[in-house]
Amino acid sequence: MDMVLPLAGIRCIECATGVAAAYAGRLLASMGADVVMVEPEEGSPLRREPPFLGPDGGESALFAYLSAGKQAISIDLGTEAGQAELARLLGTANILIEDVAIADKAAMGLDPEKVSARWPALVHLSLLPFGSHGPKAGWVGSELTLIHSAGEGFLLPNGLSAALFPERPPLKIAGHFAEMQGGVAGALSALAALWSGTGQYVDVSVQDANLAVGAFTVQRYGDGSLEHRLSRSFRYGGVIECRDGNVELLTLEQRQWHGLLELMGRPDWSQDPALEDAVVRSQRGDFINAQIRSWAASRNVEDVVMAAQKLGVPMARYNTPEQILSGQHETARGLFAEMPMADGRACRMQTGPFRFDGRPLPARPWPVPLDVEPQPVATPLARRERA
Amino acid sequence: MKPLEGVRIADFTVHAAGPFCTHMLSQLGAECIKIESALRPDIFRKSHAVYGRNGPASFDQVASNKLSIRLNMKHRDGVALAKRLVAVSDVAAESFRAGVMTRLGLGYDDLRQVKPDLVMVSVSSSGQTGPDSHFAGYAPLFGAWGGLGYLSGYSDGPPMEMRHVMDHSVGLNAALAVMAALHKRRTTGEGSHIDVAAREVASSLVGEALMAVSVGGQVERLGNDDYIRAPHGLYATNTADRWLGIAVGSDNEWRTFVAVTGLAALAADPRFRNAEGRHANRRALDAAVSAWSARQDAEDAVERLQRAGIAAHISWNTHDLVTDPHLRERGAIVDVVDSEGGARAAVGFPGRFSGSDAASITRGTPKLGEHEDYVYGELLGMGRREIDSLVEQQIIY
Repeated sequence: MDMVLPLAGIRCIECATGVAAAYAGRLLASMGADVVMVEPEEGSPLRREPPFLGPDGGESALFAYLSAGKQAISIDLGTEAGQAELARLLGTANILIEDVAIADKAAMGLDPEKVSARWPALVHLSLLPFGSHGPKAGWVGSELTLIHSAGEGFLLPNGLSAALFPERPPLKIAGHFAEMQGGVAGALSALAALWSGTGQYVDVSVQDANLAVGAFTVQRYGDGSLEHRLSRSFRYGGVIECRDGNVELLTLEQRQWHGLLELMGRPDWSQDPALEDAVVRSQRGDFINAQIRSWAASRNVEDVVMAAQKLGVPMARYNTPEQILSGQHETARGLFAEMPMADGRACRMQTGPFRFDGRPLPARPWPVPLDVEPQPVATPLARRERA
Repeated sequence: MKPLEGVRIADFTVHAAGPFCTHMLSQLGAECIKIESALRPDIFRKSHAVYGRNGPASFDQVASNKLSIRLNMKHRDGVALAKRLVAVSDVAAESFRAGVMTRLGLGYDDLRQVKPDLVMVSVSSSGQTGPDSHFAGYAPLFGAWGGLGYLSGYSDGPPMEMRHVMDHSVGLNAALAVMAALHKRRTTGEGSHIDVAAREVASSLVGEALMAVSVGGQVERLGNDDYIRAPHGLYATNTADRWLGIAVGSDNEWRTFVAVTGLAALAADPRFRNAEGRHANRRALDAAVSAWSARQDAEDAVERLQRAGIAAHISWNTHDLVTDPHLRERGAIVDVVDSEGGARAAVGFPGRFSGSDAASITRGTPKLGEHEDYVYGELLGMGRREIDSLVEQQIIY
């Protein structure tokens, strides 16, 4: 029996040029919402963003990932006809997602008050780098600057990378981490607004979303600590180099510490009773870590991780993309779906970050490239409508 | 009314990821009842020594707004009481290792017996199924398993350890899934069991990289670089540890950038004439931008660049965040008073609603068991004598 997806029956119109708003739409689409992405004739700028689906270019993997499950329609929102077409679509929708700059919203037919007056039941989600309210609402942002606008960037890296390169500038997280936080917060806020039964304007900012997930540092500030990347490292554990790769080790509970000693064969140094105290261990962290590093250096990742987890010691391999794509655990859970590409090959895609009732979210194709003519037998989702 | 007013959550979650999920939902207006036991309180309620001293963990932020009760689930009657609470709730949330709730007699199938349309969310490191489902983990491990750690870091260094933002990303995703499942319940009358594997949230955040690699696409550990944009990085300014983040992509942005910075010589340099050239020669470009930025006041430079529409921001520390008028005006930074009367800065909900009351923190951290009169008395209709007896028997404990 086909699974009834959680958002079946909910219709969403998306006008997005950035990752955050596109990811909000993608999350809703992957959970069964009917999402129509409006793009200009030349296509979404995301279609041209690396990385690509192939060694020598090809379709944008970023666009494909962010657009899976959506229908694409070309509309020039700068024209009257285009805005009439958008209005027709909005008349059928429950949710509008857009990331149009405040200064441009009215010219694109997206003035919040007018939208609300015409479609009072609609949830209108605006997802901008710094939101649409407040003194910096007009500021522009990119993945790099946004993660640093919300505090986490300043605190990265820590642990081994910070110890190796203390003079270097702080780092961003790979890919589009910050923008995607904005997307998840936006999707959550839009669904909450829809649940309330009151059509309304929802103002989400990527900066706020990243501040939310980075909240711990604000709490520590209240406790009197100003965190810094060079001092927020775990005193022992962290990134540990083995013979054939890196593992991550973190023991927070006493029983995990005992498990770690067991794992290392109860070396002599570990018999000091003072080390039973977590604060003492922390103070002697450099010494303990030197022992862990020297123990791990001659061992293989797979062996130590399996043995550690058997003893309840939290340890994980730093997986390469290839290891994830071919991982036993990932394969057993059906994490990746085989996706046909426009050129006839197939790639693999994670369909969603979570699952319902034991099944991964279904694989749904992304809109075809602009230079590929619609196939007469294409599914409705892959078909490209023209305004 | 807040958007989720009327939704009740029986919250069995501990640590950071699970509690962050219910923290989001509680700010949206759900009534969230945090279930702990004096036998084993949430480890994050206690201070711990990971930073070299015994300081409080992230408990205050994620526990705010919640109601607190004690309940000993190791006791058979405690399990029965937990079921009574779930029966009057819409959502049950948990973040134990896979299988623990089932062993306690509180698995999804057990709970569905008392609440057929229950939305249950299980947050774990590796999911409810699969060969690694029993694995223990925390935020840095989720990032390691999911590829986010491997792909992050300096290009010539080791992988980068992910911290609390990883936990909280998991919780944010879990909150979204719960919200979607509530919609499904509204339209179909059916409940759901949501399985959130933290490592899969991590891999979802580099989903495009994994897709590309699956067909031989080129993916690298880029540090602060971008695949096509330059200048793109953090540049030292005239003040130590005051880094200026700049991202310039299109030719238009480049022309604006050189005009604002006065780097006319760069505009004339043929190596930097177009985006391909700027990217191919990005180390030389970085050196030139660094020479300029080293003389700049970071605040002043950001103001000038933003006024011209260039993505620029200082790498902000926490003091910057807490004192920022923009974040304050948006309610992204709020002051919270806890039950002992102390005020502290906290982080508000990352969304503003025009037609609902503000999603926000309205109460600080609850004391363990602070709301038992309401939960056991009013909600479950138990009399004083019954409650006292359960306390006596260490079931409410």
